[in-house]
Amino acid sequence: MQALLLDHVQKSFGQVQAVKDLSLSIEAGTIFGLLGPNGAGKTTTIRMIMQIIMPDAGEIRLFGQPNSPEQLEKVGYLPEERGLYGKMKVGDQIIFFAELKNVPAKEAEKRARQWLQRFQMDSVWDKKLEELSKGNQQKIQFIVSILHEPQLVILDEPFTGLDPVNTQLIKDIMLEMKSSGCSIIFSTHQMDQVERLCDAICLINRGEAVLQGDLREIKRRYGRDTVILEYEGDNHFLDRLDFVKKVNDFGNYVEVHLTDGTHAQDLLKAAVQQVEVLKFELVEPSLNEIFIRTVTEE
Amino acid sequence: MKKLITIIKREYLTRVRTKGFIIGTILMPVFILGISIVPALVTVITSEEQKTIAVIDFTQKAYEGLQRELDQTNDAGQRIYLLKRLIVKPENLEPVKQELIKEVDQEKFFGILIIPPDVFETNRVEYYAKNVSNFRQNQQIQDAVSRVIREIRIRQAGLDQELVESITREVNLTTFKIGPGGEKKEERGQTFIVAYILVFFLYMAMILYGNFVLRAVIEDKSSRVVELLVSSIDPFKLMAGKIFGVGAVGLTQFIIWALAAALIMVYSGALLGLFGVDPTGKNLPILELDMTILVYFVVFFVLGYILYATLYAAIGAMVNSEQEAQQLISPLILLLVIPMIMIAYIIGNPHTPTSIAFSMIPFFSPMIMFTRIVVDVPPTIEILVSIGILIASILLLIYLSAKIFRVGILMYGKRPTLPEVMRWIRQS
Repeated sequence: MQALLLDHVQKSFGQVQAVKDLSLSIEAGTIFGLLGPNGAGKTTTIRMIMQIIMPDAGEIRLFGQPNSPEQLEKVGYLPEERGLYGKMKVGDQIIFFAELKNVPAKEAEKRARQWLQRFQMDSVWDKKLEELSKGNQQKIQFIVSILHEPQLVILDEPFTGLDPVNTQLIKDIMLEMKSSGCSIIFSTHQMDQVERLCDAICLINRGEAVLQGDLREIKRRYGRDTVILEYEGDNHFLDRLDFVKKVNDFGNYVEVHLTDGTHAQDLLKAAVQQVEVLKFELVEPSLNEIFIRTVTEE
Repeated sequence: MKKLITIIKREYLTRVRTKGFIIGTILMPVFILGISIVPALVTVITSEEQKTIAVIDFTQKAYEGLQRELDQTNDAGQRIYLLKRLIVKPENLEPVKQELIKEVDQEKFFGILIIPPDVFETNRVEYYAKNVSNFRQNQQIQDAVSRVIREIRIRQAGLDQELVESITREVNLTTFKIGPGGEKKEERGQTFIVAYILVFFLYMAMILYGNFVLRAVIEDKSSRVVELLVSSIDPFKLMAGKIFGVGAVGLTQFIIWALAAALIMVYSGALLGLFGVDPTGKNLPILELDMTILVYFVVFFVLGYILYATLYAAIGAMVNSEQEAQQLISPLILLLVIPMIMIAYIIGNPHTPTSIAFSMIPFFSPMIMFTRIVVDVPPTIEILVSIGILIASILLLIYLSAKIFRVGILMYGKRPTLPEVMRWIRQS
């Protein structure tokens, strides 16, 4: 079943076309990466899904049905611009937002206490939100977005400001939700996270989908034209090689994009003459690389 | 509907639980207590003082009469004016007067009253005191002297004292206000006070609670909660929830104040007793409220509040901060101040075409129609038309504001210009 379908959706603000003709579909029980450079139209798309703004044209279907306010009770949302009431107590706050999603207050309190326990935040119930650290506030925001047990959750940059332990915890929860049949729209600029978590992606640029589909499928399409090279020495020799199309220097290692038809062996030969090779691996391009290639080629 | 109640509940509880609300709600009854008890106490305290007046009576006939006529007592039941008769030869008057003036200065005497021998012809009596601007005292003394001198003249003319008095008796004008339930005795002065106080409350309520709504919307916007809210609830319901939630806070406050005021009125005697004052027969400036006036007060409070709160909500949605909002709300304040300025005129002329016209204009009618109802009995049809126009305007404003609100709450950055706001209204 499709959790979400966007069919030729358009939205303009005055002269600016924020989203032009965007179509995508998300299967139930998958994690979907919604990617794109700043200002590509991601937030507008998300706001249309959340019925905060209405599309000028096209249709949005949630769970196989036309988008309606009742359906939003099955959708969770973690906005990029975090927003909760600073002066409201944490417990009251979680219950308030759950009630807006039609969860009875008693049930909401029970679930909220369980979640706080899982995040090891039992003691914050009666604290005002603004008394909490930024990271803890973010965890509350995350709990608010999933407390009503939605079938579709939109997480916009859920990991910013979180330490590795909590990042891992939220990742675990995302995978649990996925296995229980919930779909997740994951919007972020951290491509390594997308690569690890997402089943499918849609890359938006200037309001249009420029790349979309199954993540493994996409990567396969690019083929193994990339080499991960770990070495000791000076990497300036790479600039002189004519079969090297592009080098991404990550400091500890480089990602080398070869021109079409080049044998990776040629690079290895050149490398052993110049530096001490610690690791040499022929791989598909990273999503980061695909992102940059797609967006800059546009 | 359930979600609307959730919003109302939150707006209500977060406000009612604040220290500001609790303090404000308690301070107001203390203030009411103050304005109702203090004047009574002040009159008691100020009248305690007895005044000794030196009387030089050259006619030799007036002193006893004065002693009888100046018999006003203070709240402790003592005579206010203690008279001391001084026998002075006419040739010694000047030095004695100088001496007495010194004594008045040293406050041995409160004043000097000199009744010259030719008073029956000249009609002139002299009164010296440090403070001659106390109108009530001057009046009492003048009345007393007048009566005494008149009596003597009547006697000297050989007329019958009682007959003359019954002939020259003054006529009293008793005022009656005609109400829907028949005639009712009413003191004009009290009606003025009632009108002023209640209208001032309406004015305060609209500014105060309107600003609450404004701040609530700006808070949602600046804390970015609004994004999450409108992904769960229709913006129109969100706006309605804010307006009703804050309105409920206002009503709560008024009910508490009204109860406090009622208690103070009922127990005012006992309260005065606490201050050691005998309450019997003492009139506190207590305002006796008509039930119909109270009902109209609630009606115009609710309608006026909704009208202005809707506008405040729309303004809140347009701006990013309270500072920005200040410019936009100044026209609203002006709309509220105009009826306040007009109140004095309306009270005096509740029936002129101007008054009737202004009581029909929706932004002014909550205060002006209400004033007319308090001081006068406007035709029922006029009241209904006024309320009808008000309700129609409220519906129209809600319709427009909801559109502005829907678009505005998600807009950040530059404050929109008027053409932009017009476009929002057309767009949504």
